[in-house]
Amino acid sequence: MSEKKTKVKVNHLTKKFGDLLVLNDMSFDVEDGDLLCVVGPTGCGKTTFLNSLTKIYDITDGEILLNGEQVDPKKQNIAYIFQGDSTMPWLTVEENVRFGLDIKKIPEARKKEQVDKYLEIVGLSKYRKYYPKQLSASMLQRVSIARAFATEPELLLMDEPYGQLDIELRFKLEDELVKLWQMTGTTVLFITHNIEEAVYLGNKIMVLTNKPTTVKKTLINELPRPRDIAAPEFVKLRNEVTELIKWW
Amino acid sequence: MTNGKKLSEKSIGAVCAVVSIGAFIILWYWGTQATQLGLLIPGPFDVLKAVGTGIVGKVGRHSILAHAGYSLLRVMIGFIIGSLVGVVLGLLMGWYRIAEAIFNPLFRIIRPIPPIAWIPISIIWFGLGEDAKIFLIFLASFSNTTLNSMAGARSVDPEIVNAARMLGASERKIFTTIVLPASVPNIFAGLQVAISSSWATVLAAEMVRSSEGLGWMIVAGMNNNDMIQILSGIVMIGVVGYILAIIMRRAEDVLCRWNKSGK
Repeated sequence: MSEKKTKVKVNHLTKKFGDLLVLNDMSFDVEDGDLLCVVGPTGCGKTTFLNSLTKIYDITDGEILLNGEQVDPKKQNIAYIFQGDSTMPWLTVEENVRFGLDIKKIPEARKKEQVDKYLEIVGLSKYRKYYPKQLSASMLQRVSIARAFATEPELLLMDEPYGQLDIELRFKLEDELVKLWQMTGTTVLFITHNIEEAVYLGNKIMVLTNKPTTVKKTLINELPRPRDIAAPEFVKLRNEVTELIKWW
Repeated sequence: MTNGKKLSEKSIGAVCAVVSIGAFIILWYWGTQATQLGLLIPGPFDVLKAVGTGIVGKVGRHSILAHAGYSLLRVMIGFIIGSLVGVVLGLLMGWYRIAEAIFNPLFRIIRPIPPIAWIPISIIWFGLGEDAKIFLIFLASFSNTTLNSMAGARSVDPEIVNAARMLGASERKIFTTIVLPASVPNIFAGLQVAISSSWATVLAAEMVRSSEGLGWMIVAGMNNNDMIQILSGIVMIGVVGYILAIIMRRAEDVLCRWNKSGK
């Protein structure tokens, strides 16, 4: 069996806000092609963790390496899908998906190809000339997903992207994400507070502790896909994660 | 919203406008005919007739349209320069802390000063010609656009900025592709106020010293005790102001069409 390459290496990541220690000496690796779901108790600092990984926040101590180099979104191909809507309201759906490709100065023919491909995958080809204000919440998240995947990122970070959607749309978009992940092989870090979602999506699940946050355990999830949330193995793993997360 | 519904809303709006303007004219006419008001101001039809005569003929050395053109030209030069400077300065102050730290204290002092308070200084600096008038209009439009552009840049959604940053956008790219377009609705709100303010200022400037323009028309009417000329000038101000407001609204509709909800 071939050994997987380490995509992200986090060494002793520490983040303080003044005297408040939020992330406490976290160390872990993410392998190339992982869909790593990160779960933890409410308010444990999951978003801080992701924002520190991407240097939106300056870290207090430690280092984060992507392909062996310090993380730098200007030099490396990273994409981030936020909890809220982050589409640009003044751009059409098509222009939003193009945005990342424009930044990365991709040749025009390739841009067109990528935009068409990912609009088709997320089912928005018909809405390409629409503005975000004309779309529903789930369509907006699909625009963000298409924008992120169109750049074929080395690392895709997702911060509770489906947290504000109803259950039906969430299931639909989760399946869409799995499809895209399998198709592209992109390394994905998916933050969620929803244990079922983590077990449904991840091939690994990283459980965080309460503040000051550190890595409690990383579980391998080898359940076959498509996953059945009622299957006994699924329920067993979900309960195991719940036990690890329990602070009460 | 369907096209039919849009059309009927437009028709209702047009009918209401005609009714309200018509009612005002009737009230004005009745007031001048049936009350003592007729001793103070001429009736609406005398004024409209004078406007018509002024358009084909001359008031002073020029037609009314030429007077409106002179005023409009002054407004446009001052407004464009003032707005350009205001938008750039406002966006810089709203986005870059260092720019705000340097310019905002000075701006806060200048902002509350009404443009007409600068008339004596502008005459001393630029004389009685065009430059002084344009300088005053510049000041009138500059403050409003700066303030609104600054508010626009400050209200940019940080998640959009972070999304762009994560996609590798440089700081300059973020400023031009995120901050600038996101601020357009605020900029337009500022431009609307600025154009009205500029129009008011040009009239004040022309009243001080000029030989053409709608402000001159009004002052000349006052000096000659010609009430019809004064009101003709005022009516033209209203008409030109209304046309400018429509043009601005249309431009906003085009540039900010993304800001409207619905399909």
